[in-house]
Amino acid sequence: MSALIIPCYVKSEWDLRCLRRLLDSIQAQSQPFERVYLVDDASPRSYDVPHPLVERITLETNGGPARARNLGVSRALKSGTDIILFTDHDCILDREWNEKMCSFLARGQFAAAGGMTWSWGKTLLDRYHELNGTLAGKWLLPERKELWYMPSLNFGMRAFAAEEFPFDERFPTAAGEDVDLCLRLRSKYRIGFCPEAKLWHDYGYRSTVTGFLRFLRLFKKYKSSSATLYEGHTVLMWDASESIYAGNMHEPHL
Amino acid sequence: MSLIYRLKGEQPTFMHGLHDYLGEIGPFVARVRNPLLKLPMLALKSIEWSIYRWHKTPIRRFYGVKGNELIYMITNACNDRCPKCAIWERPEPRTQHLPVERFLECLRRLHQNVYQVTLTGGEPLLFKKDVMLIAEEARKLGVPMVTITNGRFLDQTFLTRYKGLGHILVVSVDSVDRDKWNEFRGTKSFDVVMPRIMLAKQILGSQLRIQSVLSQESEAEVAKVAAWCREQGLQHNIQLYQDFGTVFWRSTRTTAEMADDPVPCAARKNICIYPNGDVVKCFDHRRIPVAKEPLGNIATQDIIEILCGKHSVEVSRAMKTCNLPCKQMSCNRPQALLFK
Repeated sequence: MSALIIPCYVKSEWDLRCLRRLLDSIQAQSQPFERVYLVDDASPRSYDVPHPLVERITLETNGGPARARNLGVSRALKSGTDIILFTDHDCILDREWNEKMCSFLARGQFAAAGGMTWSWGKTLLDRYHELNGTLAGKWLLPERKELWYMPSLNFGMRAFAAEEFPFDERFPTAAGEDVDLCLRLRSKYRIGFCPEAKLWHDYGYRSTVTGFLRFLRLFKKYKSSSATLYEGHTVLMWDASESIYAGNMHEPHL
Repeated sequence: MSLIYRLKGEQPTFMHGLHDYLGEIGPFVARVRNPLLKLPMLALKSIEWSIYRWHKTPIRRFYGVKGNELIYMITNACNDRCPKCAIWERPEPRTQHLPVERFLECLRRLHQNVYQVTLTGGEPLLFKKDVMLIAEEARKLGVPMVTITNGRFLDQTFLTRYKGLGHILVVSVDSVDRDKWNEFRGTKSFDVVMPRIMLAKQILGSQLRIQSVLSQESEAEVAKVAAWCREQGLQHNIQLYQDFGTVFWRSTRTTAEMADDPVPCAARKNICIYPNGDVVKCFDHRRIPVAKEPLGNIATQDIIEILCGKHSVEVSRAMKTCNLPCKQMSCNRPQALLFK
């Protein structure tokens, strides 16, 4: 039994299109989710969610994705869910995403897991993100048997781990809060990687030239959170890691 | 890795930057199979790296966050003979004692990343002159310092100078009962130390702390020490007893019941220097197979090189999962975010 949590902040027509596309991919899952929580983080734009499966929670004030996800987690835990999965509104799930994530986590080897993230667009910048593994998580070196961290757009936790390790709500934006969670989680549990659980992320680049500013802003957002984040994890940050891409997505001993 | 211990906080050198750049670029370029894509991908990666460099350094500087505690075990020698402590039994030979100048150099190299320097031992005040030199250098570099002593060598001159430097002095007290004290210390030092604590209280005021080692034997006594400290208006800390290799005992009382600050002064220690200059990340490192050998020695090596070495990274990984009893001293626990 799994629940999916989607924090969302819809501010443009593009966000809305992304969200509808995600909901369609949720509808088409080979193994349906038990529950889907769409946590609206006080979006400035109003919209409808015509999908009957989705339970919409609307926050009165904007508190960032960490708070939104925590709210979804507490609802999911109350409902007795075993597995809690996370994605973002600008993602598109593979038809078997839920099935693969659930069966991977159900094996009990890992308390949390991440899947493989591909770029939805076809620009050079999208290609760069795929090679760079920008949102594809990181292997913990040297063994590559578990993850150093996994971004929350393609992430899942067993219920007990989600209960024990909530997102830190002091992170105000969608940058660093997932890395922080993984570093804390790894003090006790392991995070596995399931390459078969695929999803696509839309970075929103229309072309390589027009998307360049967006590309810069994206890294500026991510990198500006990293210094403060690392300072909070003095010991764990020293672990060697390697970002995941098509060339290393399968762990060597499988 | 190289960004963690910067050579100079404000001015990383060109070679330092180049090393970091090549370390990022090399593995990435190897991923690009299509030769036509190599150049554009290299350009994009360079842009990403530049953003990384730009944001990493200034933010550290703005927040002023410093993640490491530097602990210097200045000597194994001690003028007490505590039966539960075996350190005094193996004082380092004079020829192996690290010259203080080498430690001062280490402190200068690391001070941008150090939130506290802690002097411990043995009895650090056996090297009172060195302690004062380190205290003065720490003051100059803006690093708070803590000295943990048994209190036998405290005197008015030392305390007055120490007070002026603004550092914290911690006196170890495991009992306020004369007989118990002498039993715990292995020497009849109660009547020597107690008046010195009162003198320290008078001179240092809030810069004085009392610390007790909580063990099976001292459990009842530590509660009395805590009560005495409350009477005297002194801050009391508890250090959990570590036997370094044998049985571990856990108190039935919570430390919070008995101390103002339940976090041991030595917690969060992650850069430890032994009397001969050996560098370790954990005093109990000999129980971790990969960490048996020290990471290096500051008598002959640069501390930043030592901490950025491969061995150092391996040891950190091992510490994270070692599951030894000393984990409760929080060396392995991820710290909470430091900005609030």
